Amino acid sequence: MDKTTGVYICTGCGIGDALELDPLKELVSDEYGISICKDHPFLCGKEGVELIKGDVEGEGVNTIVIAACSGRVNYDVFDFGPDKIVERVNLREQVAWCQPPNEEDTQMLAEDYLRMGCAKANDTEPPVPFQAEEEYSKDILVVGGGIAGMTAALDTAKAGYRAVLVEKEAGLGGFLAKMKKRITMPYKELTDTGADALIQAVEEHPNIQVYTSSTVEKISGGPGLFSVEIKTENGSASERVGAVIQATGWVPYDASKLEHLGYGKFKNVLTNVEMEQMAAAGKIKRPSDGKDAKSVLFVQCAGSRDPEHLPYCSSVCCLVSLKQATYLKEQDPEAVSYILYKDMRTLGQAEDFYRKAQNDGNIFIRGSVMQVGESGDKLFVEAEDELLGEKVRLEELDLVVLATGLVPASKPEVTPMIKAPADAEDADEDGMIEVLPDSGFFANSALNLEYRQGPELPTLKYGFPDSHFICFPYETRRTGIYSAGCIRRPMETAKALDDAAGAAMKAIQCAEATAKGIAVHPRAGDMSFPEFNMQRCTQCKRCTEECPFGAINEDEKANPLPNPTRCRRCGVCMGACPERIISFKNYSVGMIGNMLKAIHVPEEDEEKPRIVAFVCENDAYPALDMAGIKRMNWSPYVRFIPVRCLGSINLVWVADSLSRGIDGLLFMGCRHGDDYQCHFIKGSELANTRLSKVSETLDRLALESERVKFVEVGITDYYKIPEIISEFMETIDEVGPNPYKGW
Amino acid sequence: MANYDPSFAREVFQNVDFGEEIKMCMQCGVCAASCPLSTEMDYPPRQVFTLIRAGKREEVLNCNSIMLCTSCYTCKVRCPRKIPVVDVMHGLAHYALKQGFVPRRQPAVFGREFWAQVYKLGRIDEKDLPRRYFFSEGLVAGIKGTLDFMDVGLRMLLHKRMKLLPERKIKGIQSLRKMLDKAERMGKGGAGA
Ligand code: SF4
Ligand code: SF4
Ligand code: SF4
Ligand code: SF4
Repeated sequence: MDKTTGVYICTGCGIGDALELDPLKELVSDEYGISICKDHPFLCGKEGVELIKGDVEGEGVNTIVIAACSGRVNYDVFDFGPDKIVERVNLREQVAWCQPPNEEDTQMLAEDYLRMGCAKANDTEPPVPFQAEEEYSKDILVVGGGIAGMTAALDTAKAGYRAVLVEKEAGLGGFLAKMKKRITMPYKELTDTGADALIQAVEEHPNIQVYTSSTVEKISGGPGLFSVEIKTENGSASERVGAVIQATGWVPYDASKLEHLGYGKFKNVLTNVEMEQMAAAGKIKRPSDGKDAKSVLFVQCAGSRDPEHLPYCSSVCCLVSLKQATYLKEQDPEAVSYILYKDMRTLGQAEDFYRKAQNDGNIFIRGSVMQVGESGDKLFVEAEDELLGEKVRLEELDLVVLATGLVPASKPEVTPMIKAPADAEDADEDGMIEVLPDSGFFANSALNLEYRQGPELPTLKYGFPDSHFICFPYETRRTGIYSAGCIRRPMETAKALDDAAGAAMKAIQCAEATAKGIAVHPRAGDMSFPEFNMQRCTQCKRCTEECPFGAINEDEKANPLPNPTRCRRCGVCMGACPERIISFKNYSVGMIGNMLKAIHVPEEDEEKPRIVAFVCENDAYPALDMAGIKRMNWSPYVRFIPVRCLGSINLVWVADSLSRGIDGLLFMGCRHGDDYQCHFIKGSELANTRLSKVSETLDRLALESERVKFVEVGITDYYKIPEIISEFMETIDEVGPNPYKGW
Repeated sequence: MANYDPSFAREVFQNVDFGEEIKMCMQCGVCAASCPLSTEMDYPPRQVFTLIRAGKREEVLNCNSIMLCTSCYTCKVRCPRKIPVVDVMHGLAHYALKQGFVPRRQPAVFGREFWAQVYKLGRIDEKDLPRRYFFSEGLVAGIKGTLDFMDVGLRMLLHKRMKLLPERKIKGIQSLRKMLDKAERMGKGGAGA
């Protein structure tokens, strides 16, 4: 693009009072040869925007550098259309509001930021959205026909999109169809399951294609362009879809592992699933002799919340036992149910049903089972009653029901093994090693993705597909593939309905955005995507291995095969590539390199150190802005560079900075590990790993490793910013100036 | 090891004033934490309800807790399950006396004398009630109790909170007695019943 650049400096919001304008304007023309440079006391006001628009029309300005507030605000005001490049220089939050006015260092800071902004604008090209050659599909594939899957398909269809529903069993309905009743809003009484009506609605909907007794054999392509091969009962079918919802549900925890609770030993000890089926079939009876049950004890958390079995709370079994105790009361008002619990967990409004069950006269005992035994033809249970502070014995029991928990259908019974890499420590004799849950090779077969990083969704440690619980519940580690229902987390039917609706909306959003060539999440609307300059690729496989979303496939010769519609635009591949051949139109290794070069590094004797901080745009940068808004203060020697993700930092930037005399580098980004907050899941972790390898570079340059530091900054950590910076400044003070200054 | 026996719980639900309300107790312990007398009690209110659930008839009807309740109402106000804990405690106390348990003599005697006097006079005689109460344990205990409260009594006299002459019946004592009689008939039981 032929660029005509205009630089616009706002002097409102305290910027004009803190800075001298003339030197700023001079550097724009002297150093960057930009002749259009104007200031305005209220740039985001009508008049200010008109000033810019006037130049766009009159002078043909198409690249606009706005030196004013943070790019996180007023982005709508400073939007001049997709064909214009807008670069924001943050003179407000990051200069005027956090530095003393009219000081030399404050002025130098503003000048550096302006230089960096001009350099970046110079290297930026307007992104052109990706358009595939094939036609895009906006149909939605739903895998699993239980309550979540059926609801997702129905909601998709109701929203005007075609849904394809694949169910492995001969009929739809899943566990819902096996239930007698369910408990749902408003949690006062038992409710009909509604399974038949839901199944009928799905089967009759003209916009839903149902495949029963079918499985997904293969999914290739990416969002908008998925090709699905389905193995049906007596043949095969293929579909093209835009997005996928996995709602493959759950399986009950294997009760044969609960022998200590009498399962498998005594006929009258059953699981809650067996109890439900018995109730649905008619009467609650003793399996041993077919007589009606009069006295039942429910053992809560049977296997759940137990490090030996399921370490998590299965969240529904409390309600299920209350439901089944209610069945018993309805069958025989004189019958007694004991509920032996650790904690009654009836979340939210479901507490009302707990109250109902209490009011019905069921007996709640808080404690743990010591023994389940048989005396005569009755069962007894010995337990530690925590509230009584005594051991107690409950006799004359007809049934003991184990409230077993939920296991996601994705969790394999036996962890699969793969060939261990040469340097693996815990490989077995045959050189095999257990697959980690967060690999695409761990989960049970459901989607069969043709992805280089494995056929299934990477999961968390208990086998639920990885998603950020709080921020992005439906997202998985694969763009355009959403999880809903008990595969995502244990949940009751009312929550599964919400979940299904949410996933359906996300899937539709994905299909729509992808067709427009824009990113869905978390950089919603981003038109840029990574481009590979393949001539220089060395087939090192770093990008294909490190992309957190499995976006890049590989051919037999290990050439990366990018799938732009799977891409989240994090730039992790760009950070990984040692050849620096991956770049975006508006974000590249060279561009940040030029921004680094734009920083003026004073001579050693001036005693003005220079620090570069790479800051995650998602969390750390807003925290910085917040600190600015709160008028906190920190060293004027730090230059912040926002990055898409810490994972996009290419180590060449570290080498470049240090060899230019920058005294220290800070990486400010999200928490990583089990409770990660990284928007790109693996980005900050990768950055941290790469950083630990940076010491080699430092050694080569004969520099101290303390000069480079990683700090975790959450969006709410703004109050820590001054401390983080001053601590780092102290370190730099101790190690002294970078000896490469002035080279 | 204790055997669980739901029959006592049933007995309480059926026969004790407000007894059925304790079904709703979720054992949160708010009442126990709120009760100013819980340190003096054999079992705090929450645990009284646990014992009922477990079928511990003797322990419950013999415990001092149900007699020590001073009707401060804090538990009733705070119980998240809206259980009228005070009323249950009184209900249990009445029931215990009716069943021949004397969980704690003094409060029981005090309660009985208090009731008798209200019934007789329509008010409390501040000299007569303590005297009857102190001497109910025998002569020595009576003298000791009286001496212990001597200065309280003197100060009450000084501040005209107590008369030297015996109290007289209130006006309309007949109507009050009718009310009390009716209240008693309405309840499931009572100390005097
Ligand atoms: S829902 Fe209840 S029974 Fe189930 S694991 Fe959680 S606490 Fe235990
Ligand atoms: S690493 Fe990020 S930017 Fe690169 S292909 Fe994967 S998702 Fe896209
Ligand atoms: S990281 Fe770069 S050099 Fe390595 S395979 Fe990917 S594109 Fe090629
Ligand atoms: S406050 Fe109410 S619910 Fe809580 S323990 Fe006491 S009686 Fe039970």
